[in-house]
Amino acid sequence: MSVMSTTLPNPLAILRRWWGYRDLLYNLVSKDIKVRYQGAILGFAWSLMNPLILTAMYYFIFTYVMPSNLPHFALYLVVGTLHWTLFSNVVMQSPELLTGNAGLLQKIRFPRVLIPASNMLLNLVLWTMAFIVLLILYLPLGGRFNTVLLVYPLYLLLFIGFSFGLALVLSVLYVDFRDLKHLIEVTMQVLFWSTPIIYRFDMIPPHLRILFAMSPMTEFTLIFQDLFWSGRLPSLHLTLAFALWTAASLGFGMAMFHRRSPRLIERL
Amino acid sequence: MSEDYAIRCEHVTKDFVLHHNAQQSLKARFVGLFHSRWRATPHTFRAVDDVSFNVRRGEALGLMGRNGSGKSTLLSLIAGIYPPTAGHILTHGRLVPMIALGVGFNAELTGSENIYLNASLFGLKNREIRSLFPKIVEFSELGDFIHEPVKNYSSGMYARLGFSVAVHLDPEILLADEILSVGDSDFQNKCLSRIEKLRKEGMTLVFVSHSRDQVRQFCDRYIWMENGRAIASGKVSNLERPVLECKRR
Repeated sequence: MSVMSTTLPNPLAILRRWWGYRDLLYNLVSKDIKVRYQGAILGFAWSLMNPLILTAMYYFIFTYVMPSNLPHFALYLVVGTLHWTLFSNVVMQSPELLTGNAGLLQKIRFPRVLIPASNMLLNLVLWTMAFIVLLILYLPLGGRFNTVLLVYPLYLLLFIGFSFGLALVLSVLYVDFRDLKHLIEVTMQVLFWSTPIIYRFDMIPPHLRILFAMSPMTEFTLIFQDLFWSGRLPSLHLTLAFALWTAASLGFGMAMFHRRSPRLIERL
Repeated sequence: MSEDYAIRCEHVTKDFVLHHNAQQSLKARFVGLFHSRWRATPHTFRAVDDVSFNVRRGEALGLMGRNGSGKSTLLSLIAGIYPPTAGHILTHGRLVPMIALGVGFNAELTGSENIYLNASLFGLKNREIRSLFPKIVEFSELGDFIHEPVKNYSSGMYARLGFSVAVHLDPEILLADEILSVGDSDFQNKCLSRIEKLRKEGMTLVFVSHSRDQVRQFCDRYIWMENGRAIASGKVSNLERPVLECKRR
């Protein structure tokens, strides 16, 4: 046994080991969904309600109350807020992932990364409902189904990776720095308003644009607006910049989680 | 050679950082980065102090000692919940920690939903759970309550379901922490005979208990712990002596 652990790990074996946990991951996510919609008659359908109402409000306000000179402004807003919501939910829930599951983590040994991973999946499942609403309302809102949308899954994967890496870092840091939750709440507000979600990137004064453009939040927002609103491929340097952020976030997050999570359990 | 052992503990020590300075503020950490003089030296508590022992395959070890003597910490260390501060622990075989019954149960979910969740936390596939499911339900004697949310269970029913899942996981090493003090005496006896059956089939057992009778009944050897140290050990037939020594002090 001791000899085995000194040999180099085989990537295929590692992959197979993780694949073996798919049932647990499934059970964890389905638990969260069941608990969330416990006793609600409409149950899962509620996850459609929020995006539906939000989109209707945007459409009403920016078509009848404050008409915008941008074409299909409601669609512009929906694309931006839809992706922001996923990012913000994952990040805001991340601090309490480990501490909130202390009872479980301190009594049963299973791969700890499954806790953040199952939360990521839960958010994705709920978010998919909102995404389906977008797809249904896409044409009425003025969108055009275009071949560039075929690359969307790739960008979505990058986006998920970026959010997940950040969630890993925050979940580990929160165990020792309990101020973090409040810090995140404030920061997310600042980040939302410093991201061109409800305004256009062109409206930022030219000398400040570079500052905004360095933000990964701006990058993914611009990417998704390009795909869904402008109907064009995101530029190469935008893609590369965000891919770099994703690599940094995932790499740092995984390394930190792997290195520090075993010693955190007793301090939850 | 190591194949003969289910558990090897070599000079295992565990320090816990005490709570009052475990959570340093951001400011204190930041200042500490630059001024080592101001860096808080964490106060630690040694819960397990240089403990070494082996448990052979199929053997049963009783861990005894007063509350706070380090038994449960040692069990968590063997279970791999957290790493030891010093020393090594090697285990060999499918390990099921019964550190508390019904951990991982979600109060809102029904008994049957919790069976799936709990068993998969211990590493079982849903396919395997499906085939074990009737046996687990039958053993738990919960009947139709299995379709009720666990929050409506009595504490005894809760423990019964937890125990029932744990013993059906086909453990090669079972770590049991004072779990048999729950439920009515009928169910306790059922649990004990189940453990006895598993023992006959070759299961290794580490058993934390306050009851000398239980340890004598189930274990081959015992370790008596006091302040994190193993102060006495031996065959259970000699169990009386160190206990009395300890009491007289």
